[in-house]
This record gives sequence, structure tokens and C-alpha cells, in this order.
Amino acid sequence: MGRATTIRFLATLLLLVGAACALAAPAVPPLIARVNDQAGMLSPGARQQLEGMLADLERSDSTQIAVLTIDSLDGAVLEEFSLKVAETWKIGQKGKDNGALLLIVKNDRKLRIETGYGLEGRLTDLQAGRIIRDVIRPHFRDGDFDGGTLAGVTAMIAAVRGEYQAEEQSTSVRGHSQDDIFGLGVFLAFALFTMVRVTGRWPKVSAVLGAILAPVVGTMFLGFTWLMLLAMIAIGLVGGFLFALIFGGMRFGGVSSGGFSGGGFSSGDSGFSGGGGGFGGGGSSGDW
Amino acid sequence: MPRILATLLFLLTLTTLGGCGYNELQTKEEAVFKAWGDVEATLQRRGDLIPNLVETVKGYAAHEAQTLEAVISARAKATAVTINPKDLGNAEAMARFQEAQGGLSSALGRLMVVAERYPDLKANQSFLDLQTQLEGTENRINVARQRYNTMVEEFNAAIRLFPANLTNKFLLNLQRKEYFKAEEEAKQAPKVKF
Repeated sequence: MGRATTIRFLATLLLLVGAACALAAPAVPPLIARVNDQAGMLSPGARQQLEGMLADLERSDSTQIAVLTIDSLDGAVLEEFSLKVAETWKIGQKGKDNGALLLIVKNDRKLRIETGYGLEGRLTDLQAGRIIRDVIRPHFRDGDFDGGTLAGVTAMIAAVRGEYQAEEQSTSVRGHSQDDIFGLGVFLAFALFTMVRVTGRWPKVSAVLGAILAPVVGTMFLGFTWLMLLAMIAIGLVGGFLFALIFGGMRFGGVSSGGFSGGGFSSGDSGFSGGGGGFGGGGSSGDW
Repeated sequence: MPRILATLLFLLTLTTLGGCGYNELQTKEEAVFKAWGDVEATLQRRGDLIPNLVETVKGYAAHEAQTLEAVISARAKATAVTINPKDLGNAEAMARFQEAQGGLSSALGRLMVVAERYPDLKANQSFLDLQTQLEGTENRINVARQRYNTMVEEFNAAIRLFPANLTNKFLLNLQRKEYFKAEEEAKQAPKVKF
């Protein structure tokens, strides 16, 4: 096979894979900004104005609203696609679920407001339906996408405003809750204490026991991953040995264990990202 | 020494039970119950909309009494047939529940088709609002149903996988849960006959 043939073969393969992907339901576009104008329906000025309004809203109320325009649904169901986008982007703050999405499908002439759990009290299905019907639709029918989107987002902001207040930016701790960590600490302390009493005189036995118990306990509390398992075996092995050496000879009443503290990842403040809000199919759909 | 051995054995039992899915199965069953609660809440929400809807339609289309009556009786039936979370594994109880809710869905579908014939009704603000709410609720039901089915799928798989299946067989005896299927009628758009 000559070089040209190889290249042609590879190109064909790439094209085929691409075509196969294109046939499936539209993929959820990446979240780049508050206003994701994939279909090119908005003017740069309107986009900037929307960005500003929505950023203000998040600053004052912590509520996140995102706008997405796409060309076509490619046969997918509007409501399903909209929920998929909202769930992928996780708009709204974690725990408050105060996110909403305005989805506009250009060629299908359909739109939907998807409301997060936490906003359902104010931006009700009814409100969302009225915004679509009475605020956005008249503009869109005249081909005024800038005006319709601006008026619609303004109405959405007015509806959700005041439901939540922004709080001080707290560093979000990913991973397990405090309860889990505490439980793990207590359990480890108990297990180690027993281990030390039994095996104080034989550090090697203690090390082996540690290597067995630590991964098992780790799996129970932190869930199963191979990396964690290996790490726990190593920790248990060394820990068991050291404990036996250090405390084995002593007579003591209790052992305090340091336990594990979850590492804190503070998310960087670059660009826009969803805060982890949840959605349950609230909102309303319409067309123009 | 025997006391210490017993303590060790106790600890070992605790840890191995955790490894065999004892905790995991309970968590997964609880997730199924919670998801079912959401399904029931959304169905309840739909039921609550119906009296207003019927009143509004009656104002414009009083002589569609038969269709209206069908909706009212379907709602009454749907409210009467409930299912205890303990019976989520009972195929018969689930089928009855689905039939009652499906009956309400199709009665509502017919009502909406009828409403299409009354331009005044279609332009009425409170009818439009009710229609919006009904659509919203139907969508929520759909979402809650799908989430419930996902949880059921996870749970049903979990109780069959080794070694959790042994834990379940000898200790927990949790039952397989039934799916909440979409009604065949609801999936098809209602046909308009002239």
C-alpha cells in the first residue's frame, strides 16, 4: 500500500466515523460562556449585553442562567435534549439547584426554558410558558432574535430574582461528606487499637493484618477503585508495622487516629462553569 | 485471648459484609424508593390540575360532557389505585397502577383533542396556562419515570451480581423491582377524527 493510498484510506475512515457520529442525536456542546450561540442567531452586541445581565444576576443572587442556540435537533426530542444539556452543564449552585437554561433551536423553530429544582417555585412552568408565549414568540415571529432573547432573559431574571442571595465564595470540597470521613476515622482507630493489642509483640503479623484490613475498610467507606486499594494496602502494611513497633510495648488506654481529611479542591474562577445544580424536567416548551 | 479473637472475628465479619454488598444493596433499594416517591409526586401534581382544567373546558364546551366525564372518572380511578413501596416488586400491583394512570393519560389526551375544536377555548388565557402546566407535568412524569427505571435497573442488576446475590439470598431477601413502563397509548400522538 503506497503512502497516498494509506492517507486516502485514513481520510475515508475518519469521514465515516465522523458521519456515524453526526447521525446520532446532537451532542451536548461544551459550556464556554453564559451565552452559547452555536447557531449564530445573536449579534455580538446582544450577546455581550446578555453576558453582562447574567453575570450580574449570578453575582447578586448566585442564580445561574445559560442560553444555548443550536441549528437543529436532528430528530431528537426537545425536552430530552434540553434536560441532557442542563444535566451535563450542571447550571445552578450545588444544593440550591438554582439554574435555568434557555434553549433555542433555529431550524426547528422551537424553544424551551428548562428550570432547575430550586427555581421551580418562582419560574414556574406557567411563568416559563408565558415568557415563551407572550414575550419571546412575538419577537421571534418578526425575525428579531436579539430582541426576543433579550426580552426573554430579562423576564426570566425578573422571575427568579430575589429567590436566592449570593453567599461568600466557599471552597468546594469534592469527595465524601464529613460523616463518612469521621466514621472512617473512628473505625480505623478502633481497628488499629485492637490490632495493636493483639499483635504488639509481632510487628510482622500486625503489618500483614494492616495490609488486609486497610483496603477492606477503605473500600467500605470510600468506594472501590484500584488505585485506592493499592494505596490502602501500602498504608496498612506500613501503618500496622509502625503501630506495632511504637505502641506494642506500651500499656495504654486509647489510640487516637488522625483519620483522613478530604483534600480540598478550590475551583478556579476562569470563565463560566456550572455549580452542580439539579434538574427534574421543570420548565416549558414552545415554538414560533 | 479468646475475647480478642472474638473481637477480631466480629470486625472481619463487619468488613466482609460491607464488601459483599450488604450496605450497597440497602442504599440502592432506598434510591429506588426515593425515585418512586418522585414519580408519585409528579403523578399527584397532574391529578391536582384536572379539576381546574375540566371546569375551564366546561365553560366553552359544555356539550362535550362525555369526554369530560371520562376524564373525571379516570382521575378518580387513578387516585384510588395506589401502590405501597413494598409492592414495587409485585408485577400485578404495578400493572394495575400503570393501567389506572394510563387510563388518565389517554382520557386527558382525548380532552386535548376535543379542545382543539374550540377556537375561543384555545385563545382563553387560563386554558393556555393550564395546558402549559399540564405539558410541564407530563414532562416531569416522564423524567421521574426514566430516573426511577434507571434506579430499578441498577438495583435489579446489583442483587443478581456475585457476591451481593449471596448476601441478598441469605441475609436481606430484597425483591426485584418492577419497571414503570411508558404507556403505549401515551407515546403515540392522539389521532384527530373528523
